[in-house]
Amino acid sequence: MATTSSVVVLCCLFVLPLCVLGDTCLAPEVKTQTYTTTEAVTSTDTVFIIEFTLKCKNSVSNMNLYADIQGKTLPVTRTVTGDKYQVSFSDEHANLPSGSYNIRLFDEEGFAALRKTQRSGEDTGALKPVHTINMNHPGVWKGPFLQSEFVAATVAVFVWYLAYNARSQLQ
Amino acid sequence: MASKSKTPKSLTKEEELLLQDFSRNVSTKSSALFYGNALIVSAVPIWLFWRIHQMDLYQSGILFAVGTIISTYLVALAYKNVKFVLKHKIALKREDAVSREMTKKFADDKRMTKKEKDERILWKKNEVADYEATTFSIFYNNAFYLVLLVIASFYVLRSINPTFNYLCSVGLAAGLLALFSTSTK
Repeated sequence: MATTSSVVVLCCLFVLPLCVLGDTCLAPEVKTQTYTTTEAVTSTDTVFIIEFTLKCKNSVSNMNLYADIQGKTLPVTRTVTGDKYQVSFSDEHANLPSGSYNIRLFDEEGFAALRKTQRSGEDTGALKPVHTINMNHPGVWKGPFLQSEFVAATVAVFVWYLAYNARSQLQ
Repeated sequence: MASKSKTPKSLTKEEELLLQDFSRNVSTKSSALFYGNALIVSAVPIWLFWRIHQMDLYQSGILFAVGTIISTYLVALAYKNVKFVLKHKIALKREDAVSREMTKKFADDKRMTKKEKDERILWKKNEVADYEATTFSIFYNNAFYLVLLVIASFYVLRSINPTFNYLCSVGLAAGLLALFSTSTK
C-alpha cells in the first residue's frame, strides 16, 4: 500500500506540473483587429474594441485571458470555438487621448501575479505577459471648428453691413 | 373749396411727371420686378427648412406656400417703401452729374428750347434715380431679410420644432423687414 501511495505522490509531483505547463501558451501567434471611436459629435465616450485570434505552438486553446490597459484589468471574452477573443472598454474622450496604447494579455497565472504585484504596490512593468498588443488611437474629431450656421450668419451680416453702409452714404 | 373741386383741371405733362416723381406708386414693370424678386427671396427659406431642418417638402407644402405668399407680399412692400425713400435722396445726389451730362449732350442742339432741355434733364434725373433706387432697394432688403431669417431660424428659435420655426422665422423676418422699411431715415 505504501508503495502504491508513493507512486501516486510521485506521479502528482512530476505529471501535474507538466499539465500546468500545458496550459501556458508557447510562442503565441496573435492576429489583431482593432476599433477606436473617431468622432465625438455622435458619441459621448471613446470606445476601444480589440479582437484577436490566438494560436499557440503547443495547441493550447480555450484560455482564460485578462487584459491590462493602462493599469486597468479586464477579462477577455472568448468565442465558443475558443480561438477568437475580444476585449473592449470605454472612457471619457479626455481620458483617452490620441496616441499609442499597449494592451498586455495575461493568462490566469500571469493575472494572479499581476494582482499580487498591484496589491503590493510594485511596478507591474516587469511582469511578462503572454502577448502585448500595440494599438494606435488617432484621436476623436470634435466637429468643425466653426459651425456652418455661424459662417452663414456671419456672411449674411457682413453683406447686410455693406448694404447698410452704402445706404448711409446716400443720406 | 367746393367751387374749386368742381372745376375739372387737366394736368400738364410737367405736372404729371412731377406727380409721378413724388408718388408712392410704382410702374407695372417695377412692380413685376419687385414681386418677382420678393417671391424668389421668400422661397429661399423653403430650401433651408427642407434640407437643413429636415422638414418634408410635400407634407409641409401648404405651410410653405402660405409662408411664401405672406412673405412675398411683405418683402415687396418693403421694396416699395425703401425705394420711395431712397429715390429722392439718390435724385438729389445724382442731380448735378445728370444735368452736367445732359447739358453737354444738348450743347450743340440749338433748336431745343431751355424749357425742353430742363424737362429732358428732369426726366433723365427721374429715370436714373428710379433705376438706382429700385436695384438698391432690392439688394438692401434681400440682405436684411436673409440676416433676419438666418439669425431667427438658427439662433433665436433653434430649440422649437421646425414647423413653428418656419412660420415664426419667416413671419418675423418679413414683418421686421416691412416695419423697418417704414422708417424715413
